[in-house]
Amino acid sequence: MKVTLFATCIVDLFQGNVGKATVELLERLGCEIEFPESQVCCGQPSYNSGYVNETKDAMKKMIDTFIDAEYVVSPSGSCAYMFHEYQHIFKGDPVWEPKAKKLAEKTYELTQFIVDVLKVEDVGARFDATVTYHTSCHMTRLLGVKEAPMTLLKNVKGLKFTELPGKEQCCGFGGTFAVKMAQISEQMVDEKVLHVEETGAEYLIGADAACLMNIGGRIERQGKPIKVMHIAEVLNSR
Amino acid sequence: MSMKIGEDKFKERVGKGIDNTFMRGAVAGAQERMGTRRENATEELGNWEEWRSHGEEIRKHVLENLDFYLEQLSENVAARGGHVFFAQTAAEANEYIQGVAKSKNAKKVVKAKSMVTEEISLNSALQQAGCEVIETDLGEYILQVDDHDPPSHIVVPALHKNKEQIRDVFAEKLGYQKTSKPEELALHARQKLREEFMSADIGITGCNFAVAETGSFSLVTNEGNADLVTSLPKTQITVMGMERLVPTFEEMEVLVSLLTRSSVGQKLTSYITVLTGPREELETDGPEEFHLVIVDNGRSSILGGEFQSVLNCIRCAACINVCPVYRQVGGHSYGSIYSGPIGAVLSPLLGGYDEFKELPYATTLCGACTEVCPVKIPLHELLHKHRQVIVEKEGRAPFAEKMAMKAFGMGASSPALYKLGTKFVPSVMSPFTDGDKISKGPGPLKLWTDSRDFPAPNKERFRDWFKNRDKGGKES
Amino acid sequence: MTGSIQNRDAFLTQIAKSLGRERRSKGVAVPAWKHRPQDEVLKGATQDELVEVLKTQCMKIHTSLVVTNLQDLPAKLGETVSNYGGGPVISWKDERFSQWGLDPLMKKGWKEKDIELYEWDESKGSENIRQAEKSNVGITISEITLAESGTVVLYTDKDKGRTVSFLPATYICLVPKSSIVPRMTQAAQKMREMHHQGKQVSSCVNFITGPSNSADIELNLVVGVHGPIKATYIVIEDL
Repeated sequence: MKVTLFATCIVDLFQGNVGKATVELLERLGCEIEFPESQVCCGQPSYNSGYVNETKDAMKKMIDTFIDAEYVVSPSGSCAYMFHEYQHIFKGDPVWEPKAKKLAEKTYELTQFIVDVLKVEDVGARFDATVTYHTSCHMTRLLGVKEAPMTLLKNVKGLKFTELPGKEQCCGFGGTFAVKMAQISEQMVDEKVLHVEETGAEYLIGADAACLMNIGGRIERQGKPIKVMHIAEVLNSR
Repeated sequence: MSMKIGEDKFKERVGKGIDNTFMRGAVAGAQERMGTRRENATEELGNWEEWRSHGEEIRKHVLENLDFYLEQLSENVAARGGHVFFAQTAAEANEYIQGVAKSKNAKKVVKAKSMVTEEISLNSALQQAGCEVIETDLGEYILQVDDHDPPSHIVVPALHKNKEQIRDVFAEKLGYQKTSKPEELALHARQKLREEFMSADIGITGCNFAVAETGSFSLVTNEGNADLVTSLPKTQITVMGMERLVPTFEEMEVLVSLLTRSSVGQKLTSYITVLTGPREELETDGPEEFHLVIVDNGRSSILGGEFQSVLNCIRCAACINVCPVYRQVGGHSYGSIYSGPIGAVLSPLLGGYDEFKELPYATTLCGACTEVCPVKIPLHELLHKHRQVIVEKEGRAPFAEKMAMKAFGMGASSPALYKLGTKFVPSVMSPFTDGDKISKGPGPLKLWTDSRDFPAPNKERFRDWFKNRDKGGKES
Repeated sequence: MTGSIQNRDAFLTQIAKSLGRERRSKGVAVPAWKHRPQDEVLKGATQDELVEVLKTQCMKIHTSLVVTNLQDLPAKLGETVSNYGGGPVISWKDERFSQWGLDPLMKKGWKEKDIELYEWDESKGSENIRQAEKSNVGITISEITLAESGTVVLYTDKDKGRTVSFLPATYICLVPKSSIVPRMTQAAQKMREMHHQGKQVSSCVNFITGPSNSADIELNLVVGVHGPIKATYIVIEDL
């Protein structure tokens, strides 16, 4: 099965390990990975800030980059959701709306792709640690992927799972919100870190690089002994 | 704009909210309790999504035919002997109500909680007309006794106060001498308010849902105060936002069910009262005279536009009870009587961007509000729409942000530029980098690194790793 | 009684303008809704099952439920009033009390026990309200009873004052078993039918679900704020 990887700009620049784990994991599951060099950013930072028209060119570039793919897979729920959002942004546009629809139909978040398309629930991973999991807002509420990460984590050998209190609550990232409303964002991420601590887990796992960057950044600043890891890295562990 | 509360700037208000630890504890506790109650009450139905869809289709149909249903409502109210006044502005509504008060030579007015009367600042208009105004909802009464402290939640207005604070206020203002037990405080208020009910000249209520087909309207409470307000004074005035109506009793029932479950997790509240006109000829309780004031106050400019669905709102506060931002900052931070997600959408529409331009940015667009809304208002999408209007139509975005977004747009739409630009990120950031993290970032990044570390850019971009690996260097 | 309407035209024209069309004064009918989840709640439940649902719900709403028959009704009502501390009692003026065999209790028994009873009397004007205010117990009859929510529905009129169910310290409602329906849906339909049959809807219809309460102080539930502090429903099985 041919998978076109939409790595996301955060992974490209800051979290190469997540990209590598994604590639290795999917290859092990029998996929052939392609990475189109012309991919940039999905446009979410400026789109969410209200610069809709300014962002349209970037979106069109992304549509053209991925339009011929068999499957588009991304290790970030929020960015995968953005590909689904394009069809609404270009609503009424005779050229771009149908193209955006076509893109949305084949775009998946990584765990969703593994469970729903590859029909795999046990990727054969081993990870000897106690973990908790942050359910990212865009991934669960907007993309609607709730069960897939849990299904996959449940089957990782050696992994002890502990539920995160207040798991449905936003971590306070929200793109430019984190800097525009820094004082509120800090309180939100503090509460999130507190909840992670309460679980006693050694690792906080997530499926969205941006949320992890936010929570992880706060954990590191506070010098807490909790490690942050993307679900792709856990699933790629042996 | 009268829905505005206080004079502090947004950041100051937020700062005060964040520093108020009691309030934040109360809000967090309230969110958890009300959230759980709402979840149980909606899940036990088994088909909540179906209910939401029904709620939405009813609201949509009414808004699309609002002129028809308002005409039908007014005819039926008048046929039952009521007086209907259509007020395009807050001033028109207040003037009319002042006129009624004067003609009755009214000295005392008792009120049941109503957001629309807060919105038009009816209380101060009545005071100008020489009336004493008494709020009878327990929460509103507490705020009123405390020198008109503004409400911080649309369903539980005194949520930000603890029982000791309430005892102190009662002691100072009402000569209360008992403990801070909620039962004793409530009993004291009951006794005080009984006297007020019995001696009031006018009763004023809001309106949960008016019923066009019969000229009726419903009031939803747990305390029973609205019933005393509408049973004892000789004159009753009901003020409604113009969108708060339904075609018939059958749709009213559906929206009442959605409201009580979403707002307090009850199947129905203790008192749901459906009133039609003044009392009948031989009846001895209920008002002799009934006035219905229908208020536009900016709503018609929302109608027909991209924000129309906000008028679906039935004021249940479910969105407030799940909002992670409200949780941290409390109701007063919004600077409007309408707080939380619904307030952040509605306040700029009714009160203008000058006063409320920050509110659409006080959200992470997490979508929790949209998920719980019983009438399917896409709240987070409307917040995003506000941002788009602020940037693209109003041109209010800060210059530096505009430039940054322009640069971002150019970079993101040009793979070559992106590749070139990002290639140098590690070296550009190197002065700020400490091992694998950035602790003191430059520019806007500083706002991030004030409270969080930022990852240092990888020395090798993922894309370079992938390319090298394709060329045969399997392991990087 | 003559009503009036002021300022309507400009107001509604503005609405039509915002909606981008001409004023609509006729030709709008309530559509056949796509969704009707309300019909599914307790669908097909028998009357006995509805009584069970009502029982369970009453526990949640701090309301006592007594199930009895016509023969035992006077004893049960007498007992409930005594438990609430006796009189003064206020009731609607309603011939059903007499039809249900309550005269010996209400008109004789209570007098002997010095339990004062006041029956609503429209000829006495505001004296009715004064009586309700000083009463310890208010008694009414439910026209429709909603099993799901534990709600009694009252239609007020000249003999059935609004304040009987609000002003006294405690409240008792007599519930004929046949009045029990699944939920508010059926009550709304019935009210609408009555309207279509040309019967004027009461100036006040009360849906009462247990005693008055508030959670306005630190979200602590306080039972009995403005209205009654305690409530009992007496279900009469053979009615």
